[in-house]
Amino acid sequence: MQPMPKMLRILTGVTIALLFGALYLVFGYAPREAIMGEVQRVFYFHVAAGWVGGLAFLVTAVAGAVYLARRRRGWDLLAVASVEIGIVFTFINIASGSIWARPAWNTWWTWDPRLVTATIMELLYVAYLMLRQGIDDPDRRARFGSVYGIAAFVSVPITFLSIRFFRTIHPVVIGSNDPSAQGAFDMTPRMLQTFLFSLLTFTFIYVTLLWHRVRLGRLAEQVEQRKMEMLTV
Amino acid sequence: MLERAEAKMRAPAPGAFASYLRAVGAVISKDLTAELRSRELLGAMLVFSLLVILIFNFALELDVRARQSVTSGVLWVTFAFAGTLGLNRAMAVERERSCLDGLLLAPVDRSALFFGKALGNLLFMLIVAAIILPVYSLLYNVNLFRPALAGVIVLGSIGYVIVGTLFSAMAAQARTRDMLLPILLFPVVLPVLIAAVRATASILLAIPLAEIRGWINLLIVYDLLFTAVAIMTFDYVVEE
Amino acid sequence: MMLQEATPDTIGYMLFGYGVILGTMALFVASLVSRFRNLRRDLELIEEVQAPKRTTTES
Repeated sequence: MQPMPKMLRILTGVTIALLFGALYLVFGYAPREAIMGEVQRVFYFHVAAGWVGGLAFLVTAVAGAVYLARRRRGWDLLAVASVEIGIVFTFINIASGSIWARPAWNTWWTWDPRLVTATIMELLYVAYLMLRQGIDDPDRRARFGSVYGIAAFVSVPITFLSIRFFRTIHPVVIGSNDPSAQGAFDMTPRMLQTFLFSLLTFTFIYVTLLWHRVRLGRLAEQVEQRKMEMLTV
Repeated sequence: MLERAEAKMRAPAPGAFASYLRAVGAVISKDLTAELRSRELLGAMLVFSLLVILIFNFALELDVRARQSVTSGVLWVTFAFAGTLGLNRAMAVERERSCLDGLLLAPVDRSALFFGKALGNLLFMLIVAAIILPVYSLLYNVNLFRPALAGVIVLGSIGYVIVGTLFSAMAAQARTRDMLLPILLFPVVLPVLIAAVRATASILLAIPLAEIRGWINLLIVYDLLFTAVAIMTFDYVVEE
Repeated sequence: MMLQEATPDTIGYMLFGYGVILGTMALFVASLVSRFRNLRRDLELIEEVQAPKRTTTES
């Protein structure tokens, strides 16, 4: 197993620095929002995590398509790595959204199209992994994963649209505040800067984690191969 | 029977399209003749659907007023579950009788195989719907005989069956096959269910066309989109 | 005098939220580290087992 490439070391360092920077901006630079109070700060990382979840899903779908075309194992490895990261960050998105919702709209769950779509996306990711787990042949596993990844990704925009259309006709009003307003607060310039910086930071986090996870996958494959050699000797 | 299906596909045709249609027809007729002889699948789907309606009757307290708002949902949940039965069984039968390999050897575009299976599944679903609707109408004194409703059922079933056939081909080759299909299918097919339920409910409440049109457009877009996805990816699912 | 709604004190939820966000990320990184370690250990083990075999087959 080759040692960590220099680029990756540098990238990891940069990412950690960015994370600290983002945390400073969120807690020390961004103003306190008047209506919701401190909890609004969750918004910055909540949306950034959602962004990573969507990006990871896109990468999985594209990597799957390329695998079907080229049949090189590396692309399948990339797809699986991306799904894992996607699951983690979509969970962060949903959980932080729920925690934000509680004081803001007095409910742990809002049937907001974005939150529901994120949950469905999480279920799609998990289904992807369950499909792979049920298949023993590595080539078939990669092929099926690719096909499902593509179909699942294509379904997400349509699902979002259908839920949103559903909501415009059947708005769900819970408590005294209307959650479908989705906490529309006006972003001051400082908030916008913090928001954009958080997006940037999380993108770096995604790429870094992805790279590490792909390396892990390669190492796992190597170990598997050596085990097979050992058994056949 | 297998030989006849293969022979049909290899028969000389005036054009490529004609032989394509012939292949699709061969797949459908093979499935239909097999089913008509055993009548297992259709029977199971019907009995299951009736049981689901019965359960809903007790689970949901369908008094006259509640029925209005809930009929659409009950119908489509029934269709979705019965559809899953049909999809699972259809693929399992294929594996058991090893017909799939024979069909794959035939010199015809793989998508013909897909369309044959999908149309067969669609036919089963529509037959089930054709029987459920009168039964439900009778049991609950609701008039379900509207042409627009038939259209929605067809559009919704098409979307459901296209994605279902593609996924059941994959699930059938996994160890956890029966459990896996609903897990793979339902999140992807959710827009169909949402649109179909809303459109059906609107039709039953005689809501003006404008709102229904939005849902119908969604169904059409979904059907077209996933037909394209299925055509492009089915080859990779059945290759060996 | 202007009547103004006091900004609610939601700092608790914010800390909870960030606890979940950062905690989950940390857990994921920890899992990666742990899996790396296990695999490296497996690889070492395999190489230990294979090394003497090689010398015996070579002689």
